[in-house]
Amino acid sequence: MDFKVVDEIIDKYKDPSGRILGILEDIQDTYNYLPKEVMVYVSKKLNVPLSSLYSVATFYSFFNLEPVGEHLISVCMGTACHVKGAPELLESLKHLLGIDVNEVTDDGKFVLTTTDRKFSLSSARCFGCCSMAPVIRIDDRIYGYVKIKDLPAILKEYGWKEK
Amino acid sequence: MGRRVKVTIDGKVFSAEEGESLLAVALRNGIDIPHLCYEECLEPYGSCRLCIVEVVEGFKKGITTSCTLGCVDGLKVLTNTPEIEKHRKVLFELYLAQAPNSEKLKKLAEKFGVYSTRFKEKNLKNDPLNGKCVMCGLCVRVCNDVLGVGAINFIGRGYRATVNVPYFEESDVCKGCKACVEVCPVDAIDYSDVGDKRVMISWSNTKVDLIKCSVCGRYFSPLPVFGSVSKKLSEYGVVCDVCPDCRKRLIAKNMTSSGGYNSYA
Amino acid sequence: MRVFTDSRIEKAERELLAADKPRISVGLATCGISVGGDRVFEEFKRLIEEKGYDVSLKKTGCIGFCKEEPLVNVKLPGKAILVLHRVTPEDVPEILQKVESGDDSFNKVLFQIDVWDHKTVPPISYGQPYEGIKRWQEIDFFKYQEKLVLRNAGIIDPESIEEYLAVGGYRALAKALNMSPEEVIEEVKISGLRGRGGAGFPTGLKWEFTRKEKSDKKYVICNADEGDPGAYMNRNEMESDPHSLIEGMIIGAYAVGADEGIIYVRAEYPLAVERLQRAVEEAREWGFLGKNILGSDFSFDIKIVKGAGAFVCGEETALIASIEGRIGRPRPRPPFPAQRGLWGKPTNINNVETWMNIPLIILKGGEWFKQFGSESNSGTKVFSLVGKVNNVGLVEVELGTPLSRIVFDIGKGAPGGKKIKAVQTGGPSGGCIPEWLFDTPVDYVNLAKLGSIMGSGGIVVMDEDTCMVDTARYFLDFTVDESCGKCVPCREGLKRMLDILDDITKGRGKKEDISLLKELASTVKVTSLCGLGQTAPNPVITTLKYFEDEYIEHVVRKRCPAKVCVELIEYEIDEEACTGCGMCARRCPVSAITGEIGKSFSIDKDKCIKCGTCLDVCKFNAVKKVSRGLEDG
Ligand SMILES: Cc1cc2nc3c(=O)[nH]c(=O)nc-3n(C[C@H](O)[C@H](O)[C@H](O)COP(=O)(O)O)c2cc1C
Ligand code: FES
Ligand code: FES
Repeated sequence: MDFKVVDEIIDKYKDPSGRILGILEDIQDTYNYLPKEVMVYVSKKLNVPLSSLYSVATFYSFFNLEPVGEHLISVCMGTACHVKGAPELLESLKHLLGIDVNEVTDDGKFVLTTTDRKFSLSSARCFGCCSMAPVIRIDDRIYGYVKIKDLPAILKEYGWKEK
Repeated sequence: MGRRVKVTIDGKVFSAEEGESLLAVALRNGIDIPHLCYEECLEPYGSCRLCIVEVVEGFKKGITTSCTLGCVDGLKVLTNTPEIEKHRKVLFELYLAQAPNSEKLKKLAEKFGVYSTRFKEKNLKNDPLNGKCVMCGLCVRVCNDVLGVGAINFIGRGYRATVNVPYFEESDVCKGCKACVEVCPVDAIDYSDVGDKRVMISWSNTKVDLIKCSVCGRYFSPLPVFGSVSKKLSEYGVVCDVCPDCRKRLIAKNMTSSGGYNSYA
Repeated sequence: MRVFTDSRIEKAERELLAADKPRISVGLATCGISVGGDRVFEEFKRLIEEKGYDVSLKKTGCIGFCKEEPLVNVKLPGKAILVLHRVTPEDVPEILQKVESGDDSFNKVLFQIDVWDHKTVPPISYGQPYEGIKRWQEIDFFKYQEKLVLRNAGIIDPESIEEYLAVGGYRALAKALNMSPEEVIEEVKISGLRGRGGAGFPTGLKWEFTRKEKSDKKYVICNADEGDPGAYMNRNEMESDPHSLIEGMIIGAYAVGADEGIIYVRAEYPLAVERLQRAVEEAREWGFLGKNILGSDFSFDIKIVKGAGAFVCGEETALIASIEGRIGRPRPRPPFPAQRGLWGKPTNINNVETWMNIPLIILKGGEWFKQFGSESNSGTKVFSLVGKVNNVGLVEVELGTPLSRIVFDIGKGAPGGKKIKAVQTGGPSGGCIPEWLFDTPVDYVNLAKLGSIMGSGGIVVMDEDTCMVDTARYFLDFTVDESCGKCVPCREGLKRMLDILDDITKGRGKKEDISLLKELASTVKVTSLCGLGQTAPNPVITTLKYFEDEYIEHVVRKRCPAKVCVELIEYEIDEEACTGCGMCARRCPVSAITGEIGKSFSIDKDKCIKCGTCLDVCKFNAVKKVSRGLEDG
């Protein structure tokens, strides 16, 4: 693995405040998850125990230790979305994507990926778009007022095919 | 030494150093307050919540943890009100369900009158800590804050949080010093010395070489710990590859034969 | 001062007033973007370029009327601002044509703004009002609002420091630098401002603590973690008017003696981070940040740190740990951050909204500020009014405004004429307040009396279709997930409470569960280490207090009156109403619906996963949810 990118990321963060989170976030932006080799490398380079980086990576829900699919779908499970039917949306999405309902990762972070690795499905806590509840986010785009019946059309924008 | 102040615990007046932990004062004076996460050599952490007392006179009245309560003049606390007992009972019950296999925990709970729990045992399949860990964090703090080794840390958060080595894979920084084992209040951490190796069973079977006593041939101290110490000491001409028993013997012999300076530290 | 006579400010003023050419600004906060505001903006941009229209196109934040988004402000020279609502890219060509030809008969006009009080300058007259169009103050949604914090939101361009300066920005800073730090603190104390992050601690007092600490280094922090689900005021405030926040922080830093500031923003708010970053850079260029600010000997700079998804990091000691690169585990206080904060140095932490009030207080005085709000609860509070309410959006009202005013007068009740049952305030730390207590004035004191809290300002409205047991379960699920895991009551106790609630919502509850639930709630509340655990039982405690009958229904009769708890309901097709169109059968993801086209369809209950798709797609209201319970089988 080429660590030049990682070096560049590390060099960006000179000030100790926010350094570790910033570096890990940028690494995840680059690789779409936190590869183990990179974590080991960062640990050596910063002289921070790997155990403590791993602790941070597993504590914050933003970080993924496994690669996620090409498109990441997050269903908002915030209060406003909850009372407006987010659980049903999630249920529908699982079925549309053909993701096994029982397949829940045991690190408590809920990310499910389709077998073709095209989509990952996860839940999130409030995107701050509560006025548009229920809300889902696909990659960087937020969809408001989502209805179950709109889901197929939305997914098709991302290359999903109806079975 | 800081200023001396007077604090009152359950009606009795004690002298304490200003700012010192009230729990320390109580324990020193034979007042038994249950605690799992407090160790004198570490900063109070306040995670086990068993050490709760009720402040009747002080900065903030009401129930609080005594380990994190700094002594000020005139502080008055009660350690055994019905309300404290009620909450402590629930806390013990939560612990008993969380760490159903710890005998030490059971004993502690029994000492404070809690013999069973109303909660289902936590599902602890394949737990490297044997269903005994109470998440007090002492091992993590000793390994990181005191020793600066950082072999283990918390993993995950909330209900699923646990303590272990990163990626649950053998650690290459663990020195096998066993400080975690020693400090654990519930005997949750397993290790075993087999031949010339120490195996930290709970830490994903991390293996550490032991060194051999140059006198009796017994394996006694983990090499990584010994390595750093011995290097320093050998600069002063001190011989270190001797186990504690042999060392005692050697010192005794030295003293009787020469009566002079001995080089066996 | 020279900066304030810079010619760029005058230019911005002319732009704001559309003195030279028409101005179109699109509401582009995250909420506007998520319903297509960005597409509208792009379409404007494309057409303006293509046709060479002489129109200035701007971004603006969100004026708060989120329900009507995307909103577009259209301002013709000399005329009032027209606010158009629910604009789509298809509307754009016509709008532009009309703007170009000076025709002011726009469709989709919601209201107009002829005069706006930015508070930091005398009210600005934007132009001649149109006839027959309601002024913004005449609209129910705005009528009862008092915009102090949101004084610029939705009017100025958040990406332009010049526009902020044109409406009186950074004048408070200039004034503060001519006062002594103690005088600044005194003014804040007089104002009676309390922290808007939830606990309501008096801000002036907190500043004084930090001021009094002797140290070579101090920090100020803005808490923009806004983790309460269902609350988004801080996001909007940062996206709509970042400079107010920055100006407030600079003043605060001067008062407490800090030279470094950090804004900790949650990871879910990328746009806020972007706008803040830009605003900080602009402020630096203009000399409001950096060395020797405005020629004084005071130096200060701000950096932005992004969170990584942990609600508990909103708690101040966890937030500090997080900035230091550690996991967000709170630690016992004292020592407070004012004594030992970031990197062990005295640190003053305030919420976004707290900071945004500061420039006003300095510029207009603490006494002026106190005229708003109620006794010992001065000023306003921005609430996000969401859930089962018609007018969802951000509303800023004086503290002490009764809930009924917010929910019924501003919010216009529940959609579909449903009956409102309760509101939930304060997020996972707050409680549910039943409809019969809606005359309660909303402030720190009164909400606490009801067992809820103000929190950061989320108000989630619940109607008769909301199950209160499910709501309690929902919040517990949240707090269990977000507990840091440090102390036992929060880590283990909340999970046990959740297990009990799970059982109850699944029809497996026992009578004694309710008393165990109460016992656990009390211990968790009293013995938890930080605010998360200490308040997490509130949703359970308040629903038990006001809606115990719903719990009993679930436990005794295994019924969910609101028909929400999935295990206690079934989906059915009403044969009478079914037209046999077959839509439901086609869309059912598990093929549980069978029947004959033109006749009627029915649901196989063993196959049904209760996802609700059929209910959603049926055009004839033939699909029904039923909760049978014990009585009829
Ligand atoms: C679990 C928890 C979450 C919190 N989340 C936030 C938050 O998102 N934003 C915030 O400003 N304060 C939050 N607080 C309160 C902060 O600890 C702190 O009191 C506040 O930032 C102080 O600012 P203020 O005085 O301006 O209110 C939270 C507290 C707790 C216990
Ligand atoms: S609750 Fe879903 S966006 Fe806030
Ligand atoms: S000893 Fe005080 S909380 Fe653990």
